[in-house]
Amino acid sequence: MFGLPLATTLLVFGFPVLWIVYTIGFLILSRNWEEDSANEDEEA
Amino acid sequence: MNSTTILFLILYFLIVSGVGIWAMRGGAGQNLEGFLLGGRRVGPLITALTLQSTSMSGYMFLGAGALGFGEGYWALWYAAGDIGGGVLNLSIIGRRMRKFSELMGALTSIEYLEKRYPSPAIRLIGAALTIFLLGAYVLAQFIAGGKGMALVTGMPYAAALFIAVSIIMLYTLLGGYLAVAYTDFFQSVIMLIGMVWIATAALAEVGGLTAANQAIGALDPTLLSVWGRDLAFEGRWGIAIGAVMVFSIGCMGWPHLVTRHMAMARPITARRAGGYATLFNLFFVSTPYLVGILAIIILPKLGDPELVIFKVAEKLLPPAITGLVMAAIMAAIMSTADSLLLQTGSVASRDIYQRFVNRHASEQQMVWVSRGLVLAIGMVGYLIALLEPPTVFAIVVFTTSVLGSAFLPAYVCAVWWRKANTPGAITSMVSGASIATAWELAALWDPTGLHPMLAGIVGSTAAMIIVSLATQRIAPVPDYIVATMDAAARLEPSSATGTSTA
Repeated sequence: MFGLPLATTLLVFGFPVLWIVYTIGFLILSRNWEEDSANEDEEA
Repeated sequence: MNSTTILFLILYFLIVSGVGIWAMRGGAGQNLEGFLLGGRRVGPLITALTLQSTSMSGYMFLGAGALGFGEGYWALWYAAGDIGGGVLNLSIIGRRMRKFSELMGALTSIEYLEKRYPSPAIRLIGAALTIFLLGAYVLAQFIAGGKGMALVTGMPYAAALFIAVSIIMLYTLLGGYLAVAYTDFFQSVIMLIGMVWIATAALAEVGGLTAANQAIGALDPTLLSVWGRDLAFEGRWGIAIGAVMVFSIGCMGWPHLVTRHMAMARPITARRAGGYATLFNLFFVSTPYLVGILAIIILPKLGDPELVIFKVAEKLLPPAITGLVMAAIMAAIMSTADSLLLQTGSVASRDIYQRFVNRHASEQQMVWVSRGLVLAIGMVGYLIALLEPPTVFAIVVFTTSVLGSAFLPAYVCAVWWRKANTPGAITSMVSGASIATAWELAALWDPTGLHPMLAGIVGSTAAMIIVSLATQRIAPVPDYIVATMDAAARLEPSSATGTSTA
């Protein structure tokens, strides 16, 4: 893709996809963190 | 020197100085928590972008471009880890560190370590390592700032350095952490716009990515590989993995970054900040490396590779836009330099002066001591930077590798492993710093095929585990610390835990 060898394509595009998946997973798994801040002040 | 560029820079400097004054009026200097942590009321967007801009530094505009220019796509190993550095940091230690630090009353990332691993030795070793390494890191940013300003304005390096350092010190001294965090936010936006603009112009110049890669391949096909020019790193997975780790896992051990967790408004701030950090990184992180790679065709006869981004901007962009881009470059440099300067001054004042010299200093005295030390460190950094020591890339990779190796297990285990004790933490810090330093200085990465960061982290993690387990009977973790760790882990408001803040 884009004139790059396969390994380089994976390095350039594979890692960003991996981190997108990680971030989505984190956002899903941390939905209940709201309980942690129930009574606290709002941020600046 | 063109007038549009100067106008943008003056406007930019006025805005960041204004933020410093605003933060000071907003109470940043009223007490030490306000000065060092912005009163722990920083929201998710600001947290994400101060974390990212601080970790990226002038390295992104000097070192990253130079690496892409010199080694081709091999450079992307560094970007591969960097994209996830923010979310990894926030998801693994963000929430728990925010709670633990507040419950224990810690105001600096080194004080936090002593609260978790109670011993003056932890404070002394941690503070000494931090002051030395972050001091060197500040130096790298000053050099980058001076070089950038000299190039943009045409002024002599010494004068350019003086102006860059003076402005950074002005708003850091005035507004403390709050000024640093809000200027970092503003600087991140400028950095993103500027970098994307340069990359777009560079891609247009070379006829698109595919055409550029074909041209680079015709010059030297090894530049398109993942193993560097002339396949110098072929099969050296230990170096590639280390390059991924430096700006991902490694940054969980950087004292100036983990301080951002302690300043968050609420534990849940870490969640949204993680999302924002990834979003920002997806657009920003790989771009300077890519511009460096494209410059192989655009500027084949470039003399100093560290100036590659500046030179590409100068060649391709109209003067009006060059001003914005140059402001972006200064923003990247300044957003890291201010954080490092504040962190080094904070550690020197809180962890050395107040802890070991004057334990009864009042809050107001400590704010002024912190300001004085920030000023002193900045002035020493300026004088050394005048001598233009080694390249920015060399200093940044050295300091970040050693910091990550020294502190990573200590910060992660602080909230995740109940058996991590004081002897384990001390051994881990000393061995991690020693191994990474030896690896760098003796160039052991060459014969061993292991990146200094990888070697350092393996060593410090092994030391933490082995020594902690071996010394559980003679140095158990105190009950109140285990109770606070449990409270930090539970999902409930901090105020509901009722845990001692010993």
